[in-house]
Amino acid sequence: MPFSTIATPEAKPVANYKMATRLEGGRLLYVSGQVAWDTNGNIVGKGDVRAQARQTFENLRGVLRAEGGDLSSLMKVTTYITRIEDFPAVAQARSEVFQGELPASTLIVVKSLFHPDFLIEVEGVAAI
Amino acid sequence: MDRREVLAERPVEKSRGFMPGVSVNPSRVLFTAGLTGRNPDGGLVAGGMAAQTQRTFERLRAILSRAGAKFDAVVKQLVYVTDIEAYNASGRPERAKFFEGTRTASTGLVVRRLADPAMLIEVELVVDLPGSPSRTSLLEKYNVEDHGGDFHQGVIVNGGRLLYLAGQVANSPDGSVAGVGDWGRQAEKVYENIGHVLRAAGATPATVVKETTWVLSIDAWRRHGPPVRRAFYKGDFPASTLVEIPGLARPEFLVEIEVIAAVA
Repeated sequence: MPFSTIATPEAKPVANYKMATRLEGGRLLYVSGQVAWDTNGNIVGKGDVRAQARQTFENLRGVLRAEGGDLSSLMKVTTYITRIEDFPAVAQARSEVFQGELPASTLIVVKSLFHPDFLIEVEGVAAI
Repeated sequence: MDRREVLAERPVEKSRGFMPGVSVNPSRVLFTAGLTGRNPDGGLVAGGMAAQTQRTFERLRAILSRAGAKFDAVVKQLVYVTDIEAYNASGRPERAKFFEGTRTASTGLVVRRLADPAMLIEVELVVDLPGSPSRTSLLEKYNVEDHGGDFHQGVIVNGGRLLYLAGQVANSPDGSVAGVGDWGRQAEKVYENIGHVLRAAGATPATVVKETTWVLSIDAWRRHGPPVRRAFYKGDFPASTLVEIPGLARPEFLVEIEVIAAVA
């Protein structure tokens, strides 16, 4: 792997994600915040956070694959949502697409994303 | 300096002037603090979103310039705004003047409040620098202005390995939350957790490159957080950003801090 996972018993994650990752080689890929739009810019799943989460992670995977990686290449993801009550649905969609443990992870509730219809945005840094 | 643009022709991002992804061979990387439309005297520039955006990018240009870079070396931008309509109407055009044709990976967020309640925009950048890593030091931390704050405006990682921490919150190893309703205790616990993770990875507070502090209240954070933070960094501060947002993963969490560090 181009990165390693750091774990310590003194500080544990609050959910199924890595506490920290360290780049060990390879290229670093910065992925823009991904949202639930299709290739024409139409919003997928307006008002439906589960559908938006699936499309968002699909789009994220698309960027990673274009550079020869996959979701497993991610060192860090940041998930921004607009309503805390959406978090369980987002967490479920996220564990459906990630095999096993998530990358190092941050979850933030923001006031809004750059279009009022978007309920979730996910950005990441990957080592490939 | 080995920049590769990923899915450059994807129409949605292209029409908006950014790039789905940008990859680099990380040899020298610059992380900037979150910069805003402050004047040299610390006050905000007059004139609203357009003026604040212009001033923000002028200041970022000075930070890039000190590192020998221009906007065409920017890999990633994170733009925080408090008013998205104003940004779309008058911020974006100002930003575009600085980047010209360069398209970076980008994330844009609408947050509740920035350092000053009148601030409309804050921007932080990751920059792929030219040249080979210097052998003298892993990190180069610098300021281009005499801002008097507890942070550096730019931190260059000279070779070494980047370390990405998950956002740290005030949780104990047994899963309980330390300091429910107590800003000071949560600040202590968060930095304690950061310290443990850094140590496990072979890093130290002095090798933290960039810090983002997400809080439910900037006013409350300012009363309790800075002494804990100063004790942690002992004067050797990273580039940093402080943002107020409406919520974190659990209702008990008052603050979440994520850091990027480097290891030789």
